[in-house]
Amino acid sequence: MSIAVARPLPGRGRVRRLVPVGRVAVAIAGIVLWQLGSNAMGAEWLPGPAEVVARIWQLTISGELARDTLVTFGEAAAGMLLGGSTGALLPFILRLSPRLMTALEPLIAAGFGLPKLALAPLFILWFGIGVATKVVFVASIVFFLMFYNGLAGILSVDPRLISMLRVSGASEWLISREVVWNTAKPFLFSGLKIALPRALSGAVVGEFIAADSGLGWYIQNERSLNDVVGVVAGAVIVTVLVMAVNAMLQRIQARSLAWRPVAKDMAL
Amino acid sequence: MSSPRTMLEVKGLAKRFSPRSGQAAAPWILADLSFHVAEQEFLTLVGPSGAGKSTLLNIIAQVDGASEGEIFFRGKLIETADGAALKPGWNCQIGYVTQDDNLLPWRTLYENVTLPLKLQGRFDATGKARVDDLLRVTNLSGFQRYYPHELSGGMRKRAALIRTLAYDPPIILMDEPFGAVDAQTRTQLQQDLLRLWHRGGKTIVFVTHDIGEAIALGDRVLVLSKSPAKIIAAHNIGIKRPRDLGNVYRLEGFGELFEAVRKDIQ
Repeated sequence: MSIAVARPLPGRGRVRRLVPVGRVAVAIAGIVLWQLGSNAMGAEWLPGPAEVVARIWQLTISGELARDTLVTFGEAAAGMLLGGSTGALLPFILRLSPRLMTALEPLIAAGFGLPKLALAPLFILWFGIGVATKVVFVASIVFFLMFYNGLAGILSVDPRLISMLRVSGASEWLISREVVWNTAKPFLFSGLKIALPRALSGAVVGEFIAADSGLGWYIQNERSLNDVVGVVAGAVIVTVLVMAVNAMLQRIQARSLAWRPVAKDMAL
Repeated sequence: MSSPRTMLEVKGLAKRFSPRSGQAAAPWILADLSFHVAEQEFLTLVGPSGAGKSTLLNIIAQVDGASEGEIFFRGKLIETADGAALKPGWNCQIGYVTQDDNLLPWRTLYENVTLPLKLQGRFDATGKARVDDLLRVTNLSGFQRYYPHELSGGMRKRAALIRTLAYDPPIILMDEPFGAVDAQTRTQLQQDLLRLWHRGGKTIVFVTHDIGEAIALGDRVLVLSKSPAKIIAAHNIGIKRPRDLGNVYRLEGFGELFEAVRKDIQ
């Protein structure tokens, strides 16, 4: 009896070893292009990488980097907890009542279509210019991303697996935990993959509007001082933050979805 | 028709699904279907594709409800068409091996096979020993920690089979469980199934569209008509056991039975 185990294609191992090399090469090429662009346009329009790195180093030493990063990260995290978790949870609840789901879905679609940025003045009116406004702003964005991914997960549950478990004596609660949860999990990870970067950029945009700290506030502040180096440095810091969050998510996902018949390289 | 040794009795069963939009009434899938299964009998039901065989087993397993009729289990009325809540598997008394293996893709072979025992709070030393024994008999030992997608089709079928055997329901329904595998694997699976059944204590209702399979496995073959399905013929299979399924066409009386069932279906 033979078993079908996915084996890497011939030569794939060598290709895999080349991937990090390729990444570094692309990054170096990007930095070189950046420098060339800076040379062509002039540093006052696009500061070069050396200048920007120097600025980031300066911010690190002064402690501003840690403070502003923590503020922005905290707002994004709180927004994810508030909006992301409720958005992810709602499909599981609506699953129990198809009628309620049909009733609510168009309303949620309308909410999704509403431009959140246009609501910013209202948020400021209601929640002030403090952290709360940014948290609500982030939550209003990620709620829908997590909701629709969670919903797609719930809808792809295989009813045959549910019947099989029922026949074997499973309670409805166990069926939810076993089949519904495990089916929805990859979809929720896809949701996080989109929602986490959006949460961070949402917090940054929220700080553009009204804030006294955070990476968005820093970028906005430097812009008003006509300090282009500061603007680019802020953007670089946000990008690095997004990449770090992404890498963390990928690790958790790889561990938690190890059962899936997907080649390891493909675990995006 | 019913005797003290009757395990399951189906009386006047009929089924139609709710009509589609624009349809006045949906067609009947099953109509006035009656039969019984004796304790420890291996009953096979053979009928053309689309005859409603899966629907019939779904109703017996209480995954789906009947439109008319009654079902008795050891003389006790367990299902009617009155709309009472269904109890899938009737308290784990009715096992069901479906057409697809329906293994949980995120669970290993061992976790899949032991899941019903765990659900029923019976995963004790006896249960463990039973599972280990079944894994050995079906040549699945050593693959306990593989995920379903890492196993061959035949191995998955055997895993689905022993998942049900492990919790030992007195009656097992089987819906073309060996459909989607190659002929050789299929013979092997059939032989495995008969070997497990020979250990005794099991009543099996086995549904198939394959006349040869129905005769080779069963004590008795019931022939279903085209939809709406009803029983149109019954044949006792006198072929003595144990049967060598590798040479099923040479078994005494096989040819005549095959011809008779084929005529019934036409």
